Amino acid sequence: MNCECETMTESATGLVTELRIPSGLLGFERMKDYLLIARPGEEPFQWLQVNGDPSLAFVVVDPFLVLPDYRPDIPQAEADSIGLQSASDAVLLNIVTLHNTGRATVNLKGPIVVNRHSGVAKQIVIANATEYSVRHPLPEAETIA
Amino acid sequence: MLILSRKSNESIVIDGRIRVKVVRVEGDVVKIGIDAPSDVPVHRLEVYEEIQSSNKQAVTRPSAPLPKFPLPKLVPLAKSQPSANHKKTQIA
Repeated sequence: MNCECETMTESATGLVTELRIPSGLLGFERMKDYLLIARPGEEPFQWLQVNGDPSLAFVVVDPFLVLPDYRPDIPQAEADSIGLQSASDAVLLNIVTLHNTGRATVNLKGPIVVNRHSGVAKQIVIANATEYSVRHPLPEAETIA
Repeated sequence: MLILSRKSNESIVIDGRIRVKVVRVEGDVVKIGIDAPSDVPVHRLEVYEEIQSSNKQAVTRPSAPLPKFPLPKLVPLAKSQPSANHKKTQIA
Protein backbone atom coordinates (compact mmCIF):
# COMPACT_ATOMS: atom_id res chain seq x y z
CA MET A 1 0.00 0.00 0.00
CA ASN A 2 1.44 3.35 -0.96
CA CYS A 3 0.40 5.61 1.89
CA GLU A 4 -0.47 9.19 1.10
CA CYS A 5 -2.21 9.71 4.38
CA GLU A 6 -3.94 12.91 5.38
CA THR A 7 -2.29 15.20 7.87
CA MET A 8 -3.71 15.02 11.33
CA THR A 9 -5.90 17.99 12.09
CA GLU A 10 -7.78 16.58 15.04
CA SER A 11 -4.78 17.25 17.26
CA ALA A 12 -5.46 20.98 17.13
CA THR A 13 -8.36 20.45 19.51
CA GLY A 14 -5.90 19.39 22.20
CA LEU A 15 -7.68 16.13 22.92
CA VAL A 16 -6.05 13.21 24.62
CA THR A 17 -6.49 10.10 22.50
CA GLU A 18 -5.97 6.54 23.69
CA LEU A 19 -3.89 4.39 21.38
CA ARG A 20 -3.35 0.66 21.54
CA ILE A 21 -0.11 -0.67 20.06
CA PRO A 22 -0.46 -4.47 20.39
CA SER A 23 3.10 -5.27 19.31
CA GLY A 24 4.62 -2.31 21.17
CA LEU A 25 7.30 0.00 19.81
CA LEU A 26 10.60 -1.57 18.74
CA GLY A 27 12.64 -1.92 21.93
CA PHE A 28 9.52 -1.28 24.04
CA GLU A 29 7.54 -4.38 23.12
CA ARG A 30 5.93 -4.75 26.55
CA MET A 31 4.27 -1.34 26.56
CA LYS A 32 1.10 -1.50 24.54
CA ASP A 33 -1.19 1.23 25.84
CA TYR A 34 -0.47 4.84 25.10
CA LEU A 35 -2.00 8.28 25.39
CA LEU A 36 -1.55 10.70 22.51
CA ILE A 37 -1.44 14.16 24.06
CA ALA A 38 -1.43 17.51 22.29
CA ARG A 39 -0.26 20.26 24.65
CA PRO A 40 -1.29 23.83 23.82
CA GLY A 41 1.41 25.81 22.04
CA GLU A 42 3.38 22.75 20.97
CA GLU A 43 1.59 22.02 17.72
CA PRO A 44 2.32 20.27 15.45
CA PHE A 45 4.17 18.09 17.97
CA GLN A 46 2.35 15.68 20.24
CA TRP A 47 3.37 13.39 23.06
CA LEU A 48 2.94 9.66 22.91
CA GLN A 49 3.00 8.71 26.57
CA VAL A 50 2.89 5.23 28.04
CA ASN A 51 -0.52 4.90 29.69
CA GLY A 52 0.20 4.32 33.36
CA ASP A 53 3.81 5.54 33.26
CA PRO A 54 3.98 9.30 32.62
CA SER A 55 7.79 9.20 32.80
CA LEU A 56 7.95 7.28 29.52
CA ALA A 57 7.02 9.36 26.53
CA PHE A 58 7.96 10.09 22.96
CA VAL A 59 7.60 13.28 20.97
CA VAL A 60 5.83 12.55 17.70
CA VAL A 61 5.05 14.58 14.62
CA ASP A 62 3.13 14.26 11.38
CA PRO A 63 5.95 13.37 8.97
CA PHE A 64 4.36 15.16 6.03
CA LEU A 65 4.98 18.47 7.79
CA VAL A 66 8.67 17.60 7.97
CA LEU A 67 9.00 16.15 4.49
CA PRO A 68 6.04 16.89 2.20
CA ASP A 69 7.35 14.36 -0.35
CA TYR A 70 7.47 11.53 2.21
CA ARG A 71 6.14 8.37 0.54
CA PRO A 72 6.40 5.51 3.01
CA ASP A 73 5.72 2.11 1.47
CA ILE A 74 3.63 0.26 4.05
CA PRO A 75 3.49 -3.50 3.39
CA GLN A 76 -0.06 -4.74 2.84
CA ALA A 77 0.25 -7.34 5.62
CA GLU A 78 1.13 -4.55 8.06
CA ALA A 79 -1.82 -2.43 6.93
CA ASP A 80 -4.09 -5.46 7.33
CA SER A 81 -2.74 -6.18 10.82
CA ILE A 82 -4.24 -2.93 12.15
CA GLY A 83 -7.38 -3.15 10.05
CA LEU A 84 -6.63 -0.44 7.49
CA GLN A 85 -8.99 -0.62 4.50
CA SER A 86 -7.53 2.37 2.69
CA ALA A 87 -4.82 4.98 3.11
CA SER A 88 -7.40 7.48 4.38
CA ASP A 89 -7.97 5.27 7.45
CA ALA A 90 -4.37 5.92 8.53
CA VAL A 91 -2.64 8.64 10.45
CA LEU A 92 1.15 8.62 10.61
CA LEU A 93 3.12 9.66 13.66
CA ASN A 94 6.91 9.65 13.52
CA ILE A 95 9.11 9.69 16.60
CA VAL A 96 11.26 12.76 17.22
CA THR A 97 14.58 12.53 19.05
CA LEU A 98 15.65 15.63 20.99
CA HIS A 99 19.43 15.65 21.03
CA ASN A 100 21.62 17.24 23.71
CA THR A 101 22.89 19.70 21.13
CA GLY A 102 19.43 21.28 20.96
CA ARG A 103 18.85 19.81 17.52
CA ALA A 104 16.09 17.36 16.81
CA THR A 105 15.69 14.56 14.30
CA VAL A 106 12.76 12.47 13.18
CA ASN A 107 12.73 8.76 12.38
CA LEU A 108 11.37 8.34 8.86
CA LYS A 109 12.20 4.61 8.55
CA GLY A 110 9.80 3.45 11.25
CA PRO A 111 6.54 5.44 11.32
CA ILE A 112 3.81 4.60 13.79
CA VAL A 113 0.77 3.91 11.65
CA VAL A 114 -2.52 4.57 13.44
CA ASN A 115 -5.94 3.34 12.42
CA ARG A 116 -7.82 6.58 13.00
CA HIS A 117 -11.12 4.78 13.55
CA SER A 118 -10.04 2.15 16.09
CA GLY A 119 -6.99 3.79 17.71
CA VAL A 120 -4.99 0.62 17.04
CA ALA A 121 -1.47 1.36 15.88
CA LYS A 122 1.79 -0.27 14.93
CA GLN A 123 5.36 0.87 14.40
CA ILE A 124 6.17 -0.34 10.92
CA VAL A 125 9.49 -0.72 9.15
CA ILE A 126 8.62 0.72 5.74
CA ALA A 127 9.52 -1.37 2.70
CA ASN A 128 11.47 1.56 1.22
CA ALA A 129 13.40 2.22 4.46
CA THR A 130 16.66 2.56 2.53
CA GLU A 131 15.32 5.79 0.96
CA TYR A 132 14.89 7.52 4.32
CA SER A 133 16.91 8.34 7.42
CA VAL A 134 16.25 7.23 10.96
CA ARG A 135 17.65 10.66 11.94
CA HIS A 136 16.16 13.13 9.48
CA PRO A 137 16.99 16.62 10.81
CA LEU A 138 14.25 19.04 11.83
CA PRO A 139 14.83 22.73 11.13
CA GLU A 140 16.76 24.42 13.93
CA ALA A 141 14.69 25.65 16.87
CA GLU A 142 13.94 29.32 17.21
CA THR A 143 15.90 30.92 19.99
CA ILE A 144 13.91 32.89 22.52
CA ALA A 145 15.53 36.29 23.01
CA MET B 1 23.82 -20.87 16.93
CA LEU B 2 22.30 -23.71 14.92
CA ILE B 3 23.81 -23.85 11.45
CA LEU B 4 22.08 -25.79 8.67
CA SER B 5 23.15 -26.27 5.06
CA ARG B 6 20.40 -25.67 2.50
CA LYS B 7 20.29 -25.52 -1.29
CA SER B 8 18.10 -23.33 -3.48
CA ASN B 9 14.41 -24.10 -3.00
CA GLU B 10 15.06 -25.94 0.26
CA SER B 11 13.40 -24.71 3.45
CA ILE B 12 13.49 -24.90 7.18
CA VAL B 13 10.52 -24.69 9.52
CA ILE B 14 10.57 -22.93 12.88
CA ASP B 15 8.07 -23.68 15.61
CA GLY B 16 5.86 -25.50 13.13
CA ARG B 17 4.52 -22.23 11.73
CA ILE B 18 7.36 -20.22 10.24
CA ARG B 19 8.88 -21.42 6.98
CA VAL B 20 12.12 -19.97 5.71
CA LYS B 21 13.07 -20.88 2.16
CA VAL B 22 16.27 -20.23 0.24
CA VAL B 23 14.78 -18.87 -2.98
CA ARG B 24 17.95 -18.14 -4.90
CA VAL B 25 21.70 -17.78 -4.40
CA GLU B 26 23.49 -15.27 -6.63
CA GLY B 27 27.13 -14.73 -5.75
CA ASP B 28 27.18 -13.41 -2.18
CA VAL B 29 23.45 -12.53 -2.19
CA VAL B 30 20.95 -15.03 -0.83
CA LYS B 31 17.26 -14.40 -1.49
CA ILE B 32 15.18 -15.75 1.36
CA GLY B 33 11.42 -16.26 1.41
CA ILE B 34 9.64 -16.22 4.76
CA ASP B 35 6.14 -17.51 5.42
CA ALA B 36 5.08 -16.47 8.89
CA PRO B 37 1.76 -15.71 10.59
CA SER B 38 0.85 -12.01 10.48
CA ASP B 39 1.50 -11.62 14.22
CA VAL B 40 5.16 -12.54 13.73
CA PRO B 41 7.10 -9.42 12.73
CA VAL B 42 9.96 -10.09 10.31
CA HIS B 43 12.58 -7.41 9.72
CA ARG B 44 16.05 -7.01 8.29
CA LEU B 45 18.15 -7.05 11.45
CA GLU B 46 20.16 -3.89 10.76
CA VAL B 47 17.06 -1.76 10.09
CA TYR B 48 15.30 -3.24 13.11
CA GLU B 49 18.28 -2.45 15.35
CA GLU B 50 18.58 1.05 13.96
CA ILE B 51 14.94 1.85 14.75
CA GLN B 52 15.09 0.13 18.14
CA SER B 53 18.16 2.18 19.05
CA SER B 54 16.50 5.37 17.78
CA ASN B 55 13.41 4.65 19.92
CA LYS B 56 15.56 4.13 23.01
CA GLN B 57 17.34 7.39 22.38
CA ALA B 58 14.05 9.22 21.81
CA VAL B 59 12.26 8.17 24.99
CA THR B 60 11.92 11.16 27.27
CA ARG B 61 10.02 12.64 30.17
CA PRO B 62 7.30 15.09 29.15
CA SER B 63 8.41 17.98 31.35
CA ALA B 64 9.75 21.21 29.87
CA PRO B 65 7.96 22.79 26.93
CA LEU B 66 9.30 21.67 23.59
CA PRO B 67 11.71 23.92 21.72
CA LYS B 68 9.98 25.78 18.89
CA PHE B 69 11.06 23.88 15.82
CA PRO B 70 9.66 25.85 12.92
CA LEU B 71 7.68 23.46 10.77
CA PRO B 72 5.87 24.94 7.81
CA LYS B 73 2.30 23.71 7.59
CA LEU B 74 1.68 24.05 3.89
CA VAL B 75 4.81 25.02 1.98
CA PRO B 76 7.55 22.46 1.47
CA LEU B 77 10.76 22.97 3.42
CA ALA B 78 13.40 24.91 1.53
CA LYS B 79 16.60 22.90 1.25
CA SER B 80 19.18 25.58 1.94
CA GLN B 81 17.41 28.69 3.14
CA PRO B 82 14.43 29.30 5.39
CA SER B 83 11.10 29.72 3.63
CA ALA B 84 9.03 32.89 3.88
CA ASN B 85 6.77 31.05 6.28
CA HIS B 86 9.76 30.21 8.45
CA LYS B 87 10.84 33.89 8.69
CA LYS B 88 7.35 34.99 9.60
CA THR B 89 7.23 32.46 12.42
CA GLN B 90 10.56 33.66 13.77
CA ILE B 91 9.46 37.29 13.88
CA ALA B 92 6.25 36.34 15.64
